[in-house]
Amino acid sequence: MAELSPLLLELRDMSRELGGELRTMALALDADPADTEMLRESPTLSFLRVVGTPKAFRAYDVPAHAEQFTESCLGRVVCNIELARGDVSVLQAVAAPSLAGFTVDALGDAAQQDAFYRDFAKYEPWTFFGMTEARGGSDATAMHTSLDPDGDGGFLLNGAKRYVANADRGLMGVVWARTGTSSLSIRAVLLRRPAPGFSSSSLDMLGMRGARFGEMVFDAVPVPREMLLGAHLPASRRGLWGGNRAFTVVRLQIAAQALGAAFAVRDAVCALRPGWTGHELMSARLDAARELLYDAAVGADLDPDARIPVAVAKVHAAELAVETTRWAESALPPGTFLDHPLLEKWCRDIYAYQFMDGTSNLLRLAIAPSAGAHGEDS
Amino acid sequence: MTKTEIRPAIGLGLERLARAEGLAAGLAEALEGLGAEAAPGSVAALPAAAVPADADVAAHPLAARVGICFVRPAVSGIAPPAELTAFGVRLGAVRLGVTRRLLEHTVAHLSGRTIGGEQAVRKQLIQGTLAEAEVTIAVVRHMLRAEPAVAAAVADAHARLTGLDWELAKLLGASGYLATGPAAEAYVSRLTAHCWIPGSGELTWLS
Repeated sequence: MAELSPLLLELRDMSRELGGELRTMALALDADPADTEMLRESPTLSFLRVVGTPKAFRAYDVPAHAEQFTESCLGRVVCNIELARGDVSVLQAVAAPSLAGFTVDALGDAAQQDAFYRDFAKYEPWTFFGMTEARGGSDATAMHTSLDPDGDGGFLLNGAKRYVANADRGLMGVVWARTGTSSLSIRAVLLRRPAPGFSSSSLDMLGMRGARFGEMVFDAVPVPREMLLGAHLPASRRGLWGGNRAFTVVRLQIAAQALGAAFAVRDAVCALRPGWTGHELMSARLDAARELLYDAAVGADLDPDARIPVAVAKVHAAELAVETTRWAESALPPGTFLDHPLLEKWCRDIYAYQFMDGTSNLLRLAIAPSAGAHGEDS
Repeated sequence: MTKTEIRPAIGLGLERLARAEGLAAGLAEALEGLGAEAAPGSVAALPAAAVPADADVAAHPLAARVGICFVRPAVSGIAPPAELTAFGVRLGAVRLGVTRRLLEHTVAHLSGRTIGGEQAVRKQLIQGTLAEAEVTIAVVRHMLRAEPAVAAAVADAHARLTGLDWELAKLLGASGYLATGPAAEAYVSRLTAHCWIPGSGELTWLS
């Protein structure tokens, strides 16, 4: 089992404290996710944005324990569990490099990374990551959005993306599209807003409203060739395969957030039923899931290509989080969720983890061929 | 016939009504005059059309969208357990109708998508879930008919429906997470049961 270093323990405690501050904004954000003023004025969100930025591009230095967040997968997991324990939806509202940043880290050359993070530091924008499409869902290989030659060495981006976080408010990000028909031709490009032919709108979602999911439409959006990521890499690493390491980190973070939200629900039940011991089984399951996740994170730190334990941890965390809400429902008197709107909101928020970063069914298909090939005996 | 019994024809009628017209229409019929004060907890779920303007309401935009309102009773008057259980049976029939709406939407959605050149609805992983859904619907329908006076059985039927709704919503991917559509209505159906059915999961809150 993973042992947390003193610095990681400090990071955990700091994250728990910050999570409490996220919670103070939770209900207001759920009621009006379009109100960005509250988010912009929050020193907590501002600090988290800086912590989530690579060290070389931070606006100011952060404490050594906060540095651990970007130092390892385990650091990200430890931090995300505790922040999500405060409130997952507000956590999703942090204007951070997020998925776009991970992709630029994995596929961008030095100049692209420099340009991305300098603009990020300058404008402090929300970022977007356009992968999912209405017809193909999370199945990236069924992607229709295309990068068509513009006749002058660049591209024109055509198509649409759906269920994209920050779709309508993000100023910069990454969009995936096809340059051809093979799976190797699925490539990522950097995109900034405003751009001709680039339009967007927000979608009204059941929960996780802080993420501001929406759709983006591209009608011959000009993409200069230098915005194409991965051109300096071997053909096999330029596209989806090259992005896999980035997706692994994201998957771990999402699993950690789902688990953190489940802990929040458990904590709320215990607070409403002081002295009740009926939570012990659920508490044990949550603790075990945290160990599973820690182990997956340590494994990913040792081998960034070890994706299956991470998928296992994500599938389990997302399911367990939903189960925790049902357990809470049965452990509390009728109507409690409506009297405690945070609990009810978390039920809605937690559902989101099933489809964020690919549906559980897609992950199961990835896990199945290697079933039994992970764990201590493998 | 006592209050704890329900004629199959009534249950089927409620299921059909909710399937055709939705949760609020089904709930309005199923209540049979029960008001907010009859709810076993601090909040009752009622059809919005039946809620007076001056009622103490727990605002919930998602529920309002499907015509459901959460109301804090002005006076106390919890219905006797047997009456609540009988209502739980009728509400179960309504929820079955809501679940079937979701199932039909899910099948239509998956029939219009292809994965790897094959209709999504034909994928084995998906077919398995859809088959389980049909089984659960049949089981819940018969539990409600066979054991209408057993509170634990009624609570179990509701818990199964909550679980099934979630399995179906997952098959919709992110579109099952939109605030509009049958998955959102199924979520409000869950909250409605939570207001009326004691321990609709495992009845542990009484321990």
